[in-house]
Amino acid sequence: MRLYFVLTIASLKMYFRNRQAIFWALFFPMLIMLIFGLLNFDQFSPPNVGFVDNATSQASTAFKNAIDNGGDPLLDLSVGDEADLLEELSAGDIDALIIIPERFGEDDGVSTVRAVFDSRKPSEQGITQTVINDVLDSIFLELALVPDEFRVESRFAVEPSFIDGQGEGFRGFLVPGVAAMAIMQAGIFGVVFTLIRFKTGGVLRRLQATPIGPSHFLIGQMTTRLIVTVLQTYVLIVAGILALGVSVGNGTIMNWVDVTILALFGGALFTVLGLAISGWAKTEDVAAPVANIVTLPMMFLSGVFFPVSVLPDWLANVSQFFPLTYLADGFREVTVNGASITTLGPELLGLGIWTAVAFAVATRVFRWE
Amino acid sequence: MTGREHTQTATAEGDASGAEGPIISVSGLNKRYGEINAVDNVSFSVRRGEVFGMLGPNGAGKTTTIEILEGMRRADSGSALVGGIDVRRDPKKVKSIIGVQLQSSAFFDHLSVAETIKLYGELYGEKVDVDAILNEVELTDRRKAYFKQLSGGQKQRLSIAVALVNRPQVMFLDEPTTALDPQARRHMWELIERIRGTGVTIMLTTHYMEEAEELCDRVAIMDSGRIVELDTPGALVEKLLATGFKSTREVKLATLEDVFINLTGRRLRED
Repeated sequence: MRLYFVLTIASLKMYFRNRQAIFWALFFPMLIMLIFGLLNFDQFSPPNVGFVDNATSQASTAFKNAIDNGGDPLLDLSVGDEADLLEELSAGDIDALIIIPERFGEDDGVSTVRAVFDSRKPSEQGITQTVINDVLDSIFLELALVPDEFRVESRFAVEPSFIDGQGEGFRGFLVPGVAAMAIMQAGIFGVVFTLIRFKTGGVLRRLQATPIGPSHFLIGQMTTRLIVTVLQTYVLIVAGILALGVSVGNGTIMNWVDVTILALFGGALFTVLGLAISGWAKTEDVAAPVANIVTLPMMFLSGVFFPVSVLPDWLANVSQFFPLTYLADGFREVTVNGASITTLGPELLGLGIWTAVAFAVATRVFRWE
Repeated sequence: MTGREHTQTATAEGDASGAEGPIISVSGLNKRYGEINAVDNVSFSVRRGEVFGMLGPNGAGKTTTIEILEGMRRADSGSALVGGIDVRRDPKKVKSIIGVQLQSSAFFDHLSVAETIKLYGELYGEKVDVDAILNEVELTDRRKAYFKQLSGGQKQRLSIAVALVNRPQVMFLDEPTTALDPQARRHMWELIERIRGTGVTIMLTTHYMEEAEELCDRVAIMDSGRIVELDTPGALVEKLLATGFKSTREVKLATLEDVFINLTGRRLRED
């Protein structure tokens, strides 16, 4: 026990003195997360806007048609009931809400369109507001048939209001995905290159000359990786909270405990996988491509940056069984939906099975020299 | 130099069965790798407290033999006792009473010299007096350096330091001075002499004949997995001369290495 403790402490020391390892484990994923998070890919598709039509008049139909823009919609409209759509807005499922008043376009007076925005989505607000103004302008001209030279101030007006939505959109999707990806990268690359260096340099061989042997040392290394995995996950998620405004479920301790449990499952899996690769490969030249072949497809197909559902069906059917998919999905269930670990049976089972497989392979193929 | 005195003492004592019995005794040892007999029916014994040399060209089986004695490889047949322990039956127990310097071994890049020594002590369950060991191998002023920052000679001395953590009865040094400059080599010789002075038995391999003459009480010459000759360096030379052999080289009272050391001094260069 004492020996295990001593070896783990020594491994931790070595790990935190290795700046390269820390860069790849922490700063690299953080950089990716911040870059993608600040780009905010939600912007590249039209905002998803709720539409409540209380008038069903010629004017309101013209309004809707104008937004539809002949099949190339300026806004992605979902028509519905005001109460329901307000709830969706507050949950973050839609980005804004347009409410057309009764007798819209019929009054001689001002027809005020109400628009409700999510204060956390300024860019969607900007786009939506511009579209509303343009559309109101054009239907005013169309309906009034006013020649340009007599053009007067539009009698349509917009009354904006704001609510604090809870949704996190792409960022909420991205942060748990990157946290999962970072565990994979640290587990596989961290373990593979360290161990191969120990192997080719003769470090493991020297340990074999002691009565203890290198397996104890490996257990110390594994423990270090698990500790690093958890710390790394905390750092990335906290960075997501601070810089990208995401949250971890309902922000309770239990949500963090669940994140920790998932991180440990994922850390164990990818560390063992790294062990299998480095145990089998003799040199870095062999290990590097293998490590990349294992990690690259998962990076793009396991729902880190975009959901598995956008993949073609046949590919989604395969990639849903990838180890990283289970981990990213699990994280996301906790951070986005606030799910409890007890409901994540399939994800934990998937991670467990993959760990067992990787462990079986590692013990079979491991070579000390 | 001190080495010669030891050589002469050992020659005077003569016969192989010392009062305490040999600390290493090997008989009929075999190890095959495929078609190659790496170790071919090797028998010898090493006396307590002596420096025993294994000489031979590359691939002669020196390292394989030593690694069998260290418990790191299994022999196919034959017996090997180290400190009375059967290596084939109990390699772990052997490992706890020996100190090992491998031909190519590295330590952790990101641990300091002092931390490495301490960690290895823990592997033997020993609380090590790190300062004393550092002092012994003259690495006190490098105690905070990482392995990769050490010079070749310093790495070898760290390797010796680590081999000392369990206060071994026998030390195995596999080419302890290969790739060292003459100053560092002499330094290493002195260190080996000092360790031998504490009563530790030393078995070493080397490609340098002057090193074997300098350090070893007895040497075994291996070729193609067999021991072809085993005696004191002095006796081996006498034996050759008795056949009427005459070196074509004129023997002078100094060598080029003497010239080199005379010109460059004995001071270690490793900063």
